[in-house]
Amino acid sequence: MAEEVIRGIDVLVIGGGLAGTLAAIKAREAGARQVVQVDKAYAGRSGCSACAAGVISSFLPEEDDREQMFTDMVVRAHHLCDQERLQDHFDDFPARLKEMEDFGVGFERLPDGKLQRHPGRGTGKFVMFHGGLQMMGAMRKAALGAGVKIVDKTMVTGLLTRDGAVSGAVGFHIPSGEFRVFGAKAVVVAAGRCWNKGRNPGNRSATGDGLALAYQVGAVLEGLDQARWNNMAARYDIGPGMNMYVGSGGFFVNSKGERFMERYHPELKDRAPLNILTPSFAMEARRGNAPIFLDLTHLEPETVLRFKRVIPMPMMMFERVGVVAGDRFTRKVEWEPAAIQCDGGLKVNRRYESTVPGLFACGDAIPPGSGEGQRALPGAMTSGGRAGRFAAEYVRECGEPELEREQIQVLREETFAPLNRNDGIEPDQVLLSLQEAISPYDVLILRREERMERALRTVEEIWRDQAPLLCAYDPHYLRMAHEARYMTLVGMLQLRSALFRKESRENLREDYPLIDNESWLKWVTVRREGDGVKVGAEMLPVERYPVKPKPDKTLHPLWQRVEGMGIVKIEQGEVRWA
Amino acid sequence: MGVRKIDLTLCTGCGICIDECPMDVFRMDDEKNKAFIKYLRDCQSCFICERECPEDAIYCLPTFERRIPDPW
Ligand SMILES: Cc1cc2nc3c(=O)[nH]c(=O)nc-3n(C[C@H](O)[C@H](O)[C@H](O)COP(=O)(O)OP(=O)(O)OC[C@H]3O[C@@H](n4cnc5c(N)ncnc54)[C@H](O)[C@@H]3O)c2cc1C
Ligand code: SF4
Ligand code: SF4
Repeated sequence: MAEEVIRGIDVLVIGGGLAGTLAAIKAREAGARQVVQVDKAYAGRSGCSACAAGVISSFLPEEDDREQMFTDMVVRAHHLCDQERLQDHFDDFPARLKEMEDFGVGFERLPDGKLQRHPGRGTGKFVMFHGGLQMMGAMRKAALGAGVKIVDKTMVTGLLTRDGAVSGAVGFHIPSGEFRVFGAKAVVVAAGRCWNKGRNPGNRSATGDGLALAYQVGAVLEGLDQARWNNMAARYDIGPGMNMYVGSGGFFVNSKGERFMERYHPELKDRAPLNILTPSFAMEARRGNAPIFLDLTHLEPETVLRFKRVIPMPMMMFERVGVVAGDRFTRKVEWEPAAIQCDGGLKVNRRYESTVPGLFACGDAIPPGSGEGQRALPGAMTSGGRAGRFAAEYVRECGEPELEREQIQVLREETFAPLNRNDGIEPDQVLLSLQEAISPYDVLILRREERMERALRTVEEIWRDQAPLLCAYDPHYLRMAHEARYMTLVGMLQLRSALFRKESRENLREDYPLIDNESWLKWVTVRREGDGVKVGAEMLPVERYPVKPKPDKTLHPLWQRVEGMGIVKIEQGEVRWA
Repeated sequence: MGVRKIDLTLCTGCGICIDECPMDVFRMDDEKNKAFIKYLRDCQSCFICERECPEDAIYCLPTFERRIPDPW
């Protein structure tokens, strides 16, 4: 295969979603001369960003009480959040929002010119934009306008290092199969999260690549034990919009027709945050009350017409399968937890630099600064902006990195290995095995040691026995093969991390039902040690944080709630199902 | 079933769908100068191709292209 070497790059950004695009633009603004943005598909059309539904959880200084919002976010994350990053997020958000609008991203405004706000899940207030496609089209144009060089259809398959610092990346061009080498002083990982190609169209190009690549060069990953599950239409391949649906009066019913969320979260009901909503679904399933349906059939025509304007994509899709006809929802829609995802990513400091010098990260590739607030698109906006700026500052001190031929050769062989295995295992087989191991609701949504151990053993077998035999018939399959490898690796690290946290917090454990602020105000970290995996924990620096947790142990509020409902009993420190 | 059809009477071979599909589903028939669906199984039903095709030649359906295990 031919080889192309691109040298002289100041900042190489991996990923063409919102985080990567903002990082690239901000790196240019901060003085980086040569900024290259590489995407395995097409920057601005791939990843979650391009498929985003159309709402941004927002902080508008002229309308909102910052301190109150901040405290709410910290408390709702059960204090497992980086309050310093969250402060920076509040500082930056209004400016990023304004810039995006200046770049041509369309937002819904009221006749008086104010941004239209909308309640959604939780207590957040959202502003509405005209869908991911419009947004990312404008952002790609803005990046090109800022002098960013975009390299599409090039999948990164390895990071280069020199004396412990990052020095570039390698990958291959999918249409031609050509090998590509990028020599760069700094690299920003903005390659998104690992969604394991589950339910939720739009996320199937986010396969944990950035996490796996960073892990391979020794970066510490953090927060992989945490997962906030979205949920989606079960039988149609239709993306989200749930903030709009439940914010406008949609509700869930179980197989008996009961509006069960009234009991699981009497205050917010169907608008409960995801870390309550999805476990509530799982508990209904545990009680034999699945399937779950989302009911929107009662919505008024004007509401349905507003959906069509604000979340055109899912509405058009619902129309195609007859769920929406004209200005009405015609029937209930079966609903399930979406992709098997994890919230973790590269551990970064306040400058968004990882534990590997010169390697920065942002967006979905880092753990959210908070469960709400700095995550999803708002998180991509503020973390992307800062990662780009700090990467540009970092390269001011750097000389041109030398590239090591030997290292490149090893990565090249690894990159193309599946192409030489015509009679190996197809990527689909590995993907399905992985999904079967980790997607049952009682593995990672309702957690217990034995079940996670069992899943871990299966995923380790896939990694050991199947992944090395992955085959690819052509460069398209080569992408799919590497994605399957990355997802398997991340799945293994996710289960290891989840097993390590012996308490309930963002996620519920039956065997450790308490939120344990005495021992577990910690991030779970994981990194590579030789060929082994090293899992550990790091204290949150709560002494530096403005919002202080109580140093106590309390039964998780959702366990408390369902104990009160008589669904579970707490016996000998464990949950027993009634 | 994701992307279902390219209407060849409308397709001008502009290549936009090939460029922009995030899952790399399309290829170009260079002889006929028309796009075709090559890797259907990897389609993620995002409808980007349908929305971006300047000739309205592409039709998609939001149904699953491969089995995704149910959580219960
Ligand atoms: C369907 C859907 C709808 C959503 N709707 C909303 C919403 O309305 N509001 C909201 O706030 N959030 C929403 N979210 C979440 C939000 O879209 C994401 O959190 C956000 O877009 C993440 O941006 P990102 O730039 O970090 O990653 P992504 O947008 O996922 O971008 C990652 C990019 O990296 C590229 N890439 C990956 N691996 C490689 C590799 N090896 N080499 C080269 N390139 C690579 C991918 O092709 C992709 O372009 C939604 C998510 C989904 C899936
Ligand atoms: S975008 Fe439409 S017109 Fe262009 S090649 Fe694809 S199908 Fe043909
Ligand atoms: S629906 Fe999306 S993934 Fe499927 S072919 Fe069209 S652009 Fe590609």
